[in-house]
Amino acid sequence: MRHHGLTGWLFVAPALCLTSVFFLWPLAMVGWISAHNWPLIGRPRWIGWRNYLSILDDEIFLGAVRFTVTYAVLITPILFIVAFVLALLANTKRRGVGLFRTIWFLPTSIGISTASVLWVWMLNGDVGVFTTILNALGLALGPVQYLDSTGAATVAASTMVVWKTAGFTMVLLLVGLQGIPIELHEAARIDGASYWQDFRHVTLPLMRRSLRLALVLSVTGSLLVFEPFYIITRGGPQNGTISIVYWIYNSAFGSFRVGYAAALAIVLLAMVLAINLAQLVLLRDPDDA
Amino acid sequence: MRFTVKLTIGLLALGLGSGDANAAEITMWARSTTEAYSTAMVKAYNETHPDKVVLNLIPNEQFVAKVGTAIAGGSPPDLMSIDLVYVPTFARGEELTDVTALAKALPYYEKLSPSHLRLSTFEGKLFAVPYSAEASFLMYDKALFRKAGLDPEVPPKTWAEVRADAEKITALGNGTYGYYFPGNTAGNNVFTFLPLIWAAGGDVISDDGSKATLNSPAVLGALDHLRAMWASKTIPPSARNDGAENIISTPASGKVGLWAGGAFTMTGLRRLSPNMEVGATFLPGEKAGQWSSFAGGDAIAIPRGSKQPKLAWDFIQWTYSPEVQIGILARNNALPVRTDLAKNEFTERNPVYLVATEAMAKGRTPYSFVYNDLLNSPQGPFLRMLQRAVFDGDVTGAVAEAQKRFQQIIDTGN
Repeated sequence: MRHHGLTGWLFVAPALCLTSVFFLWPLAMVGWISAHNWPLIGRPRWIGWRNYLSILDDEIFLGAVRFTVTYAVLITPILFIVAFVLALLANTKRRGVGLFRTIWFLPTSIGISTASVLWVWMLNGDVGVFTTILNALGLALGPVQYLDSTGAATVAASTMVVWKTAGFTMVLLLVGLQGIPIELHEAARIDGASYWQDFRHVTLPLMRRSLRLALVLSVTGSLLVFEPFYIITRGGPQNGTISIVYWIYNSAFGSFRVGYAAALAIVLLAMVLAINLAQLVLLRDPDDA
Repeated sequence: MRFTVKLTIGLLALGLGSGDANAAEITMWARSTTEAYSTAMVKAYNETHPDKVVLNLIPNEQFVAKVGTAIAGGSPPDLMSIDLVYVPTFARGEELTDVTALAKALPYYEKLSPSHLRLSTFEGKLFAVPYSAEASFLMYDKALFRKAGLDPEVPPKTWAEVRADAEKITALGNGTYGYYFPGNTAGNNVFTFLPLIWAAGGDVISDDGSKATLNSPAVLGALDHLRAMWASKTIPPSARNDGAENIISTPASGKVGLWAGGAFTMTGLRRLSPNMEVGATFLPGEKAGQWSSFAGGDAIAIPRGSKQPKLAWDFIQWTYSPEVQIGILARNNALPVRTDLAKNEFTERNPVYLVATEAMAKGRTPYSFVYNDLLNSPQGPFLRMLQRAVFDGDVTGAVAEAQKRFQQIIDTGN
């Protein structure tokens, strides 16, 4: 028995080591830094809770929390609908479906920063490809400004994110779709179920696990969004599109307040953890218990 | 046996190492804006000296973060050129070597750029010396002036004249606009807009950086001036979202009459529009005779922990020779930092540089430990004030809000 316990520990040891060195230890360091006035340039000084207290007065951070949560709430369903439709289309045996899947998955293989820079130029009001297309179709005359209001800028950046990540979510959902034994669909059809009834009562319930995984990944990713708003909108216009991570980055490397940024990071970690726990509890599979 | 081989290789390596020992190598970091002349300087130095400088160029916006991390991690460069405005922050953080005695021993110490020296001084000691200079001034398209019936040799001298000229140029139609500025960048507007406030006798912070001073007629007036031009559509609509990507291409298009800039834009303008006749004059205030300029550029410093401070200083001293000041800096559209070399063959050949040089000598630079948060940050109160006033038209509200935010940031940062 003891022997088995030791073997077990040996098996988890590599993972435990990696987690300790690359997650737990840095996390402890972040906690330590967050209790200091820790300038990027200069010497740190212990200040206890004061960084956490100043978060409450930080209007831009509170605005960033509102903005990021709104963004996550809006983009998640859109991303899911797009990815689900793509997955259903890709889950057929028609000719060219491989090409279809590849085309939609391709953006996933580009880095998000690279993709953002690409879209900066595509969204350029004077020479960007969208302006050219809109003009060619007669829908616009001359330059079009895509980023001149918070709403428009958010839509522009979100479109990029959907284009960039829908392919990945599609693959996650496709795995779930293909994991459903074909006999179940056939049985449902024989019992007289329509396509929608089959979808609603066979496909969806059996995809619970894929959906849960995709949802947790997507919500977490949305709460941690940074590059699109850093590169495409630069937080503008007028600070309307600053995400939480953007503000953490800015506090550390723009305001040189590393200690404060660490405190913000701890708060974000607690938020993401709480939201993920809530999701897992809400979407709990009764069979898993 | 294997041990012997290793030992031999080790000794060989040592031997090779000691062969180079009297020719040392120092590392220098500089921000990417300085690329043209920094590269040229280092190349010239390495060709004429036994010691070698290895230059590492860092993207502008990452510079402070990279240097801060390197110093904290105990591996700073031996020498670095920093955006002038950040020198107070570095000096206060005790990250730089005191060079007061060395600098004052230079025969031309008194002739070094005054703005650079002021920004490099902290508690009476000098922690950096001038490296390169850049001053802002008003630029204009002489061809458009002629077309609009204006005399290209008589540029505007007050805000009212700027607006009047801009309106005449806008009236040419066909997508032509009288005035241009990039509306979505903090840094560029600090460089080009603050001088309007200074020229009119105002400022945004007190000389020692401890008080916000935005509630003044000069600030309100300068914003009103820009707002009036936006409201009357004398500024192209693309200006609103322009994060300084187009500061060269928009003037080069030949469709805007007046804009503010620096000598550093001349290389790009010449490349994009070789035949364009660019005029230059000082950035005016409200009344005739008033003018000002932002004296920017880089200062060069020896970080704490530099392994080669002596060699670093040798390099710095060498950059003050006329061959470098004129032969490299002026040739690359940067301004010399020795005022006694300010007038040279390049300024004689091109009146734009003459204006830049004179502007530099009278230019100003804000001294603040929270410079980035106040002025340079895209999320900062300066850009917000400008955008709210110019694009939304709420000049008084924008100024009141900025005054409050400026003071808050100063109080938390000092």
